[in-house]
Amino acid sequence: MLTLQSYLSLAAIIFAIGIIGIVINRKNIIIVMMCTELLLISVNFNFIAFSYFNQDIAGQIFVFFILTVAAAEAAIGLAILVALYRNKNSIDVQELKTLRN
Amino acid sequence: MIKEIIFYTFSSVLICSSLAVILFRNPVYSAVSLILSFITSGFLWLLLQAEFLAIVLILVYVGAVMVLFLFVIMMLNINNEKDKTNFNSLAPFALFIGLIIAAELITLIWINSSQFNINSLSIQESDQVSNTLALGKELFTNYILSFEIAGFILLLAIIISISLTLRTRKNVKTQIASEQINVNPSTRIKLVDLKDNE
Repeated sequence: MLTLQSYLSLAAIIFAIGIIGIVINRKNIIIVMMCTELLLISVNFNFIAFSYFNQDIAGQIFVFFILTVAAAEAAIGLAILVALYRNKNSIDVQELKTLRN
Repeated sequence: MIKEIIFYTFSSVLICSSLAVILFRNPVYSAVSLILSFITSGFLWLLLQAEFLAIVLILVYVGAVMVLFLFVIMMLNINNEKDKTNFNSLAPFALFIGLIIAAELITLIWINSSQFNINSLSIQESDQVSNTLALGKELFTNYILSFEIAGFILLLAIIISISLTLRTRKNVKTQIASEQINVNPSTRIKLVDLKDNE
């Protein structure tokens, strides 16, 4: 029988995978942004599971807004990445220390 | 019974594809795995009667956001050979953090299971009104301000990403519309007094 706990546990596992991905791929900004999308998907899983098991549509409204903001975030992040690549010719995080000192 | 089979199959596919996202070295393979995990999440959302959001996830994310990711990856031509160095030194630390987070969350979820002990049998499966209709009614009555703010955020994203990536080339003969509109006749016409040589 499918309970709320199974969906929440699946979301927790996806969240942990996203965190691990951010730490081990921290030099590649594109994969870090993909891991951010994974984190958002896991949070959306929680909202939709609670919305279904409580029979309340408000959770799905929140998922709608999260999807909107995540799409905007991905667009702006990729635009920053393209501008960065034009200036530095690489997207390595280690070279982004222009603001240090 | 069929729902359990679908749930466990699709959630194992989702976990494997999410692992593939973070373990592939080539960003193109990661992006394709992320597409697979989005589609699988869409199917799992269909199981939770969120039909509209499942379709939106597949259309918007797979159709727009991931295509944008793949476009940027292929345009930037990143060599992914030199970032293999720090992988092994960070892997135990990352695994430690991730396992702790997963263990904490799952322990809390299963300890507090008596508080939200709602099983799927108590939920009536036959919705009279469709999911899209219910979502639209709620969105355009109670959440209309948030909806307009979301539209404004999207407009902001368009403006920011265009202004970040727009590159005006120098030494190219182009029309500048604003200067053309703001032309003043007094600066353009010069009246010369012609003397007739008779």
